[in-house]
Amino acid sequence: MRVETHTCPNCGTVVAANVLERDRRLRCPGLDCGEILDFTDLSEEVREHYETNRDRYRID
Amino acid sequence: MKGLVLAGGTGSRLRPITHTGPKQLVPVANKPVIQYGIEDLREAGITEIGIILGDKGREEIQSFLGDGSGFGVDITYIIQGEPLGLAHAAACARDFVGDDDFVMYLGDNIFKRGLTEMVERYETGEYAASIALQHVDTPRQFGIANVDDEGTVTELIEKPDEPPTDLALVGVYLFSPAIFDAIDELEPSWRGELEITDAIQSLIEDGHAIDSHVVDGWWKDTGKPEDIIGANRLVLEDIEATNDGEVHPDADLTGRVDVGAGTTIESGAVIRGPVRLGENVTVGPDSYIGPYTAIGDDSTVAGPHIENSVVVGKSELTADTRLVDCLLGRGANITSADGLLPEGNRLVVGENSNLKL
Repeated sequence: MRVETHTCPNCGTVVAANVLERDRRLRCPGLDCGEILDFTDLSEEVREHYETNRDRYRID
Repeated sequence: MKGLVLAGGTGSRLRPITHTGPKQLVPVANKPVIQYGIEDLREAGITEIGIILGDKGREEIQSFLGDGSGFGVDITYIIQGEPLGLAHAAACARDFVGDDDFVMYLGDNIFKRGLTEMVERYETGEYAASIALQHVDTPRQFGIANVDDEGTVTELIEKPDEPPTDLALVGVYLFSPAIFDAIDELEPSWRGELEITDAIQSLIEDGHAIDSHVVDGWWKDTGKPEDIIGANRLVLEDIEATNDGEVHPDADLTGRVDVGAGTTIESGAVIRGPVRLGENVTVGPDSYIGPYTAIGDDSTVAGPHIENSVVVGKSELTADTRLVDCLLGRGANITSADGLLPEGNRLVVGENSNLKL
């Protein structure tokens, strides 16, 4: 299964694409990092994959 | 070689202790479980470490570990989010790992002998992976490995009805970057997770050599309260007696007792080691602390008989009662109901607590 990530440009914290897809826009989870991370930071192709396969990246 | 410590999960089996913090920070012998893994990696020469975090407890873990410099390592945090399996956690670290080999260590596991021997053996061969194994009495409850005479893994089976060996997978894996290609090809299992055993089995079927290392000494998964108490007992077996506090001449200490800074043991207190007392602990007269007990910082023990127990810290234990095999969360107090009417226990107990009175 495809697994993509995004690295915060400010603090280097790595965030899984499934977190960005779920939360859409979030403050970087790195402690004391104020950077705003957005689902649109991912490429269009990656976004489309995660939106198309949303259920596979969630545990009910 | 890099390190990866998995520190996600909900800690549901450790409730109520984990209502207020992640399971990886529950102390064993007064040291958070995850610190044992960090120290094992460092001792094996691995100082670039990724910490995989879930949705729960990630602020607390980052606050404790910081950038790793306090532990002699360099830490990168990797947010997995939902617990989509060990293989998903590994794949989230692909950019962090790059072209290096890496150790994947479950952050709620403790090993007596560390990782050095396993890492050294792996580095002498041409392996795609190495797995840590241990002989178990109940192989049907574990993922089981079949190995040849050289220790090369030939098959992995999850909770087999007819186990071919009693060698269970325990919480340490070494991988080459080949594991990422195997994970790419995986599909979620029946429970919706990407299973690391499926990824390793895929490597085997593709002709890769997988080494194994049978762990010497004990290994503990600290997922349940009884596991924390058991791990605490095993770690305390190896402590040395130290005294950084004040012990009254008329206190009775025998065996190995580790007394932290600022701790006071008063006249008439009885302690039978192995026991570890944290910092700023007070042990009053008529108290008995028996073997395999760890008392966390800023606690007071004045009256009870306590043994084989873990007190996380900031507790006041003043009831004249016997406490055995207890796990007491931070700030939990046990005081006397004597003189209160109507007679009876007064309990303020959180969800998922267990009391045997």
